[in-house]
Amino acid sequence: MASADKLKKIMRCPVCFGRDIDVLMCHDENAKHYCIKCGFNGEESEVRAMYLDIKKKFHWISKRITLEEQLNL
Amino acid sequence: MYFNIIHRTAVAELADGPYYEIYKRQQDLAHSLGMKTTIAIQYSDLFDETVLRDARAYQAEFGDELALSLHRLAGPGLDELASGLNPIWLFDVLKKRQILSLILNKWKDVFGSYPKGVTSYHFDSSSLNILKEIAPEVETVIGGCFEEGVRVFHGCNHSWYLFNEGMPWGPWYPSKGHSLRPAKNETDAAGVVALPHLCRDMSLSYEGRNDFWASHPPNVIRGMGNDASFCPYDLNLIDQYRMQEKFNNNESYYNTFVNSSWLDWNHNSEYPPEVSWTLYEKMLAYCSELKSKGELTDMTISEYGAHYRKQNPIQYKKPDVYWAKEMLYGSGKHYFWYIDSTRRMLFDTTQGGSIGDLRPYIGELDGSTGPDTPNREIGTFPYLIQSQYRTGAAHHYEDGARTTLLLTHKGETVDLCHYPTKGVDIIRDGGCVIFKLTPATVSFNDGLTVKVTTSIHCYDDGQTKFERAIELPSDYNSELLVTEYLKGCYGKTEYAEDMHAISLNIDNKIEHNFDYSGQEFSVSQGQTASAIVPQLNITVGLKTDNTVSESSSARVGHLFSPYYTLKINYKISKTRSVSTWLQLTNLKK
Repeated sequence: MASADKLKKIMRCPVCFGRDIDVLMCHDENAKHYCIKCGFNGEESEVRAMYLDIKKKFHWISKRITLEEQLNL
Repeated sequence: MYFNIIHRTAVAELADGPYYEIYKRQQDLAHSLGMKTTIAIQYSDLFDETVLRDARAYQAEFGDELALSLHRLAGPGLDELASGLNPIWLFDVLKKRQILSLILNKWKDVFGSYPKGVTSYHFDSSSLNILKEIAPEVETVIGGCFEEGVRVFHGCNHSWYLFNEGMPWGPWYPSKGHSLRPAKNETDAAGVVALPHLCRDMSLSYEGRNDFWASHPPNVIRGMGNDASFCPYDLNLIDQYRMQEKFNNNESYYNTFVNSSWLDWNHNSEYPPEVSWTLYEKMLAYCSELKSKGELTDMTISEYGAHYRKQNPIQYKKPDVYWAKEMLYGSGKHYFWYIDSTRRMLFDTTQGGSIGDLRPYIGELDGSTGPDTPNREIGTFPYLIQSQYRTGAAHHYEDGARTTLLLTHKGETVDLCHYPTKGVDIIRDGGCVIFKLTPATVSFNDGLTVKVTTSIHCYDDGQTKFERAIELPSDYNSELLVTEYLKGCYGKTEYAEDMHAISLNIDNKIEHNFDYSGQEFSVSQGQTASAIVPQLNITVGLKTDNTVSESSSARVGHLFSPYYTLKINYKISKTRSVSTWLQLTNLKK
């Protein structure tokens, strides 16, 4: 089982995740993350920016839709 | 709405993390909100005095249920038997019996009787039957993860071998022969009430990975459906399940089962644990709020199992339906789901009411898993139609498994699947459920517009009637060809299976074996077109509603399009309704 410290550094490849596939990236001595399944590599800030891009498809990510509203949806 | 909270102890499994403390915090949270839980205790934890003492105290003070969890098969005597394999459904029958005997007898030693509730990600028929044989006291199980299979397998780097697609999304009576098929009567039933492991999003579970979109806030984080500690989707999903009461005799069911490891640093999330904890807390707080308003009743799993038996006696069990309204992408899509002991169907209103998924339970196909079965690890109940795995509407080559309506005018054919509609209503009429769709206005190149309004009548004997009200301009002076269309196959994954044993039949006048020849056969004014699929022990067919047709036809596919196609063609020249039956029958009855 991975320790908490190790888990804190783990990030999923944003390119593979864009295809709904969880691939945990490795990181090198320059703090760059790289994917072992595709060619993606980048720093944490770039990875997090790509995560935000992935979320853009969820137009209603911030929308509360109550029961009454769902009845008329 | 009825609600179960399940917490797993999982001490030995997670010995190097603060997981027992997190589990206790989960328990404290539920109790502080005035709700009871079901504590799922694993075999290895039956040897831990702290776990047992705490669990008994929770039971005494809050009415929590102590249930057996089969998630991790390890501990004294079990390590040698299981050899590191955790899923009970993946052992051979002998090992299933040895493992279940060991675990259940230890439980009886500790508690003095067998458990009433048992949890597993999935039970296949043999593990369920052995469980019930050893411990007849077991009344309720958590017995399957809705639509977990191909997509989760791919999504987890092809490493998660849990295939149990084709199951009910809500509580059901598993049959003896296939645990995912709802039993048709007491004789057919395995003797337990089964509950799903989590309640899934009935739109996104069809379109993508079902594990992200469920009653499990950390999994929604995994799917990136949250904005840090803000995730209205978690509450929207609860409300969508509440909405189903309107269509299901005032009953709906919801549960949550979040293991403590999901509330700590986790490789499936890029957020710190505070985020998953906050969202878990918000979800339970909302459920507590609903409880205080009298709109939610919390129970343990066995309490719910007993309630379900009383409210839905198997001999009077009515079909369940689910009106799914997509609510994360904001697509406005609606799906209708239908299930009874003869079949499970999904109607895609965005494609004019096409069937996107069809599981023909009526064939009563048996299925267990394990190395001693031909199914090995694939516990899925097979489909006849699965439009996500098997192409569905055409986009770059031929279409695949689906149904639709085709309209042909002056040589131009339009496909109703390209005319998005929505659900209007679900009506129950005796043994029939009627799904009503908004009209679609279909346009042709010469300016002709035709309004098509679909209603789908599902009967609990395996028959479905597609009723199409077709409105033509009053001065229409041509003939419109209307084709009810079914393209089918069978399978459990996205790959084609061997179709050789299938045969096609038109009006008992033409019969042709599936020889991959690509040939099409037709009978003028034919009334039926059907496919006999011995692999699933069923016949699937289209039949006119006693209306004179132009023709009926059947086509054998080829290796680049391994499907059978059934059609009933009607010619109309004025406004009228056209009704066609989709019939499923058991080959041996």
